[in-house]
This record gives sequence, C-alpha cells and structure tokens, in this order.
Amino acid sequence: MKKLTTTLILIFGFIATASAQSYMTEEGTAIFHSRVPLHTFSGNSENLTGLINLSNNKVDFYIDLTTLETGIEKRDRDMKETLETKKFPFAEFFGELVSDFNPDTTAEQSVKVKGEFKIHGVSREVTIEGTLQMKPEGLLVKASWILRLEDYDIVPPSLLFVKVDQEQEIEIEALLKSVDD
Amino acid sequence: MIIRKTTLITLVFLFGSYSLSAQVLERKRAVQDGPVEDIFLAGSIAGLSTVTALPKKNMNSMVMHNFGLVSGGIEDFYGLDGGAAVRLGIDYGVTDKLDIGIGRTGIEDVVDLRAKYVILEQLKSDKVPVQIAIKGDVGISTQKERRFDYTFTERLNYFTSVMVARKFNDKLSLQVSPMVSHFNTVVKEQNNGKLYNTIVGLGIAGRYKLNNRNALAFEYLPVLRNRNPNTKDHVAVSFEIDTGGHVFQLFFMSGRWFTEQHLLARTDTNILDLDFRFGFNINRFFGLGK
Repeated sequence: MKKLTTTLILIFGFIATASAQSYMTEEGTAIFHSRVPLHTFSGNSENLTGLINLSNNKVDFYIDLTTLETGIEKRDRDMKETLETKKFPFAEFFGELVSDFNPDTTAEQSVKVKGEFKIHGVSREVTIEGTLQMKPEGLLVKASWILRLEDYDIVPPSLLFVKVDQEQEIEIEALLKSVDD
Repeated sequence: MIIRKTTLITLVFLFGSYSLSAQVLERKRAVQDGPVEDIFLAGSIAGLSTVTALPKKNMNSMVMHNFGLVSGGIEDFYGLDGGAAVRLGIDYGVTDKLDIGIGRTGIEDVVDLRAKYVILEQLKSDKVPVQIAIKGDVGISTQKERRFDYTFTERLNYFTSVMVARKFNDKLSLQVSPMVSHFNTVVKEQNNGKLYNTIVGLGIAGRYKLNNRNALAFEYLPVLRNRNPNTKDHVAVSFEIDTGGHVFQLFFMSGRWFTEQHLLARTDTNILDLDFRFGFNINRFFGLGK
C-alpha cells in the first residue's frame, strides 16, 4: 500500500513537474472600496487563497469574509452581519482564463477570466479583467471589478441613516507560487 | 505536504470530472478560534466600566450626561430642569488589550486619567471561558475651593478594579468586578459619623441583546466595606442602541457620577425610593489607521 502510494506520488509528481503549470497562494490581498455620502472607506484581507492552472486555464479563488478589516471593529462587525458570514463565510470565484496568456515572457499581460462568483449564498456568472505577470518568484495576479450588492441579495447597511453605495469596487492582488517547486 | 498537494491537484486535473461547479481548492476557514466579540457594546454601561477594550488605533469619544432626580415631578420636569452632570472623555486603544483615557466631569471639575488592560480574552472555542481585565483611574478635583487650600496630593482620588465577564451566548453577558476606591481627602459636611478614605465595593453588570442593534443592560455597585454615612448602592438600567459607529446608551441611574470611585463614595439616592435620574451616554468610535 505504502509502495503504491509512493509510486503514485512519484508518477503524478513527475507529471506535475513536467507540466509545472499550477500556481497557488494562501496570502493574497483582497480590498473593497465602499462609499457613503461625503465619505469612503476600505476593507482588506491578506487571506485570499487562489489557484491558477495554466495547462487547462482553470482559476479558483476564495476568501474567508471574516478576515476583512476596515479599521473600525464595530464597522467590521456590521459588515459581517450584512454579509451573514455565519451562514455564508466565503466569497469565491471559480472559472477559467478565456484569453491568451504567454508564460514565457515576464511582461504584464492583460487577461480575462470567466466563471461563477459567489457571495452571500448567491452565485452569478461574471467576466473579470485583470493582469497576469510571470515573475521569478511566481505568477502575479491583479484584478478589479465592480460588485453590485443587490445582485447578491445584500442589503446595504445604513450608517446613521446614510446608505452605503450599491456599487463596491473590489481589487485583488496575489503572488501565486508554483505548487511544483 | 507540497508533494501531497501537487498530487491531489494533478489527480483532479487529470481524472476529475471537471466542471465549473467543482472547485479545486478545499474551502477552509481562516480563523478557527479567537476572542469573542462584543461582550459588552462599549467600555462602560452608565458609569461602570466593562471588560470590553478598544481595538488598537481605535478611539472612543464619550459624552456622558445625566440630569436631576425624576422624583422632582413635573415641577422640575422630572429632573430635566435640575441641571446636568456631564463627563466628556476620550479613550484610545494603544494595543488590542490596552486602553488609555482622559475625561473631565463637570461636578467639582474632576479630571480623571484611566487605563484598562485585558489580561485574558474569552475564546470562541471556550478554551478560555471568561474575559478578565483590570482598570485603574486617577482623578483630581480641580475645583477652586474657598474653604480649604488643598495641595495637589490632597485633591487626588483613585480607583482600581478587576473585571471578570463571560458572554454566555449571543444575547447574554454578565460581569462581576471587585473594586477599591481611595480619596486622599474626605470632608465631613456634618458631624454625624465617620467618613472613609478607602471603600471596597463590587460591580455587577449584565447585558441582554434584544436584536442586532438594541440591548438592555444594568449595573449595580454595592459597597462591601467602609460605607460612608447616608450613602446608598448605585444602580443603573440602560437601553443601548448600536449604529456601528455610535453606541447610544439611555438610562435611569441613581448615582450622579460617571467615575466609579465617586459612585461608591458619594451615591446618596436610593433607586428603591424612586430616587433616580435620566441620563444618556454617546459613544462615537473612530478608526485612526489599521
């Protein structure tokens, strides 16, 4: 049994090394920018987890929403209540690269991904534009898009009778390291 | 670990029935355990401090306010004509466990400096079932006194307490806090008994959440040792409103003060005789960086 496992690991390890196409992180950055009249605030998390496989173009990212921080604890708690993180702890994207990416150049390249973005228990198909850049340390991903709260049945909280804007700007940035190293 | 991860991913990619509904990464919660949040909504209820500390670089500015006795009736507009006692204060989170603060009370122009330190945090896993914090407060009466020429030292008063609290569930939190107050100077208005410089008391507090925004809370400060003549145990009952950036506390309280050393030593009204006053605290929370 042990031998079989070792053999399998060696075989698949060899295949994986041969492909060297999977990149992963558990320490990416996700930021959102929120607006209320006369005021904007941001929240961020350093716990973005993601995987990109360049051999089949699959892209999988998720974040534990309870790790988002805005700088004011009470506002963080409000945000978690609004997003119902006890019921829906993750925001997640799963899809694929739908544009060409050349891994043999170190230039920053514009890319598009298409797939399902899910938050607050609601899943919608989205197309997100961003950039990929091959670096010596790994694959650098940057992307941003606008999330409309009502699309995901999120009722914007009122902060002292002032409504938070429906449109939230989301940014992600992560350096994914080769899982084959 | 890396080899196992690689193998798993490779297996999935090679043989997995791979559709847009089948993610590759297992969803794992980032924070498995941690301190419980919001044992109390603010750092104090009416006048009694709670174990709740400000996060690092958060500031709470407070306006604490109460009026005359409700028992004055309509002639005194139930105390609202009686003139307000006000404490204005600012607390700042130096770390997630250490607050420092300063405030000034209009009665006797008392300026107080205070610090609160959380020794132990209650954990969601219940591995640590209670939160424990200590508080120290030094007050100085800056009022110009015509009868006596007080020295700086004679004007000082002190307070310390150990707060032990537990959040039992999302709704109910309770706290007990043994406390000691000390006044360097006590002045007898009448020759009717002994006044004590040092008083030992107990703080008992609770909070019951009605919903996400509102809670009922109470505080009770029985004197355990060295009760001053004609003084009573302070009691307050509060309705709390949490808006996210603000916590409003609307309460009836028997004591006149917002500093615990004075509540122990100087409360002379009995809530059971309907001798209590309306008051409110406004807490405004700011983030001063991450």
